[in-house]
Amino acid sequence: MSKTTDAALVSVFRDEWPQLIGAAMRLVGDLQSAEDVVQETLLTAVDKWPLQGVPDNPGAWLMTACRNRARNVVRDSGRARQRLSSMRPADDWQPPEPEPGAIADDRLRLIVLCCHPQLTADAQVALTLRMVSGLTTEEIARAFQLPAATIAQRIVRAKRLLKENRASFLDQDGDIGGRLPAILDVIYLAFNEGYLATSGETLNRGDLAAEAHRLACLLTDLLPGEPDAWALRALLSFQLSRWATRTDEDGGIRTLDAQDRGQWNGELIRDGVWALGRARDGERGPLVLQAELASCHATAAAFEETDWAAIVALYDELTAIQDTPIVRMNRAVAIAMLAGPEAGLAALNPLTSDPVLRGSHRIWAVRADLHRRIADNAAAIADYDKAIELVTNDAERRYLQAARHSLAQETDMPTFRASLPELIARISSWACTRTT
Amino acid sequence: MSAFLLLATRPAGAREVSPPAIARDLVAAVGWCRALRQWGLLNGFAVDPEAVSGVRSGLIVLASGRAVAERLASDWGKVSGCQVSVTRLCIAAPSARGGS
Repeated sequence: MSKTTDAALVSVFRDEWPQLIGAAMRLVGDLQSAEDVVQETLLTAVDKWPLQGVPDNPGAWLMTACRNRARNVVRDSGRARQRLSSMRPADDWQPPEPEPGAIADDRLRLIVLCCHPQLTADAQVALTLRMVSGLTTEEIARAFQLPAATIAQRIVRAKRLLKENRASFLDQDGDIGGRLPAILDVIYLAFNEGYLATSGETLNRGDLAAEAHRLACLLTDLLPGEPDAWALRALLSFQLSRWATRTDEDGGIRTLDAQDRGQWNGELIRDGVWALGRARDGERGPLVLQAELASCHATAAAFEETDWAAIVALYDELTAIQDTPIVRMNRAVAIAMLAGPEAGLAALNPLTSDPVLRGSHRIWAVRADLHRRIADNAAAIADYDKAIELVTNDAERRYLQAARHSLAQETDMPTFRASLPELIARISSWACTRTT
Repeated sequence: MSAFLLLATRPAGAREVSPPAIARDLVAAVGWCRALRQWGLLNGFAVDPEAVSGVRSGLIVLASGRAVAERLASDWGKVSGCQVSVTRLCIAAPSARGGS
């Protein structure tokens, strides 16, 4: 079997997974039973295909086998005779034409179900990654650096809660609009955890970020008329385009100005630009503006050519509709780049009393850099110390410790203009940080 | 060469399935079966279409001895994710008294 065929099979299994879960859900009615049916279907393929040959259309084979097995489960359980009697034979089964306002795709139904409002955000993320992405409990636990038992418990509880609340796969039509923000949030949360790990030894976890990006692309396929879905896709495409250049060989942080833009993924940038174009058809909400901000960085030919005036203007616009401390902090950084560190500090200092920001290492790291650039070494070192005390990611801690160390050893301060790009680059890499 | 029956059994309550991982298992199993066929060692097989747990498939393979057959069983177990048992087949001619 060629490598291309191998990859095609992996792709079929990944792509079919949520569709199979959806098809099984329609018949068996609860997530646990649906998952069992799909797992058994895939195992049957592993038993049969090597001996009987890989079918010409593996996806169709899996779907038929899955539906048949789900029917058997329903029949054997004896709990849903009415459901069974209304079924058509497997061979000529066709999905019903969606009614106006109905959710047309089972994958989307599944995402909507996994983002049920009764579930906590953590449970929504874990359940979505298991049921829609097909990640195992261990893979999710590894991605979030949590014990597998914790994730398993979240998923089991979420399934139980949905069952107890009779959250049906089929009666969610019309809910999609209301749940879209939660869905976008779940994908964004998963991406952020993958893109900038909150804890652990490394800065990022590629599989999780790539999976979140895949989900965002799936969402635009399923909801092509939703500008916010396009905005999220654009934002993640831009961020992901820099993936390969964000860290050095030792896993240390490489700032935006030090990254080789020739190594940025042009295909993802083009995808981001295209998706942003679709997002601009709608209202300029927070996601669209964040995508615009990411676009400013991703499409600048060189760091020195970054349009900081446009970035400050975008942050002004964002602040007007989503006035959060993190947005204000990012705006202060952009102001520093545009108008100098004193202006940046003037915008930043009032934020240090914010209860959320003052508990995060980021604001102290930003202020340390600004203090360094105005040659206030004592204040810079004090801020670095606060940042190092609060940071939970090892790669970021190493970066901050190195910066503090070099500052402590410095006898001649660098000029502001020479080192400011480093600060901006660092902050720009946080651009996808949740703003809520 | 002797004929051996390899019976593949999947334990009930098997591990959680990962779609990409299972696809990779499948690719390995397809390659293993193809090689067995090319070497002329696969004499026949049966797959239970309804199997949920218990015996999933049976392979009749040719091997020069039990040790070789057990090695084949071990390989099949690795690529299929099943537990595989080995039974030497004694294909006897029908006895004169057999049948009715």
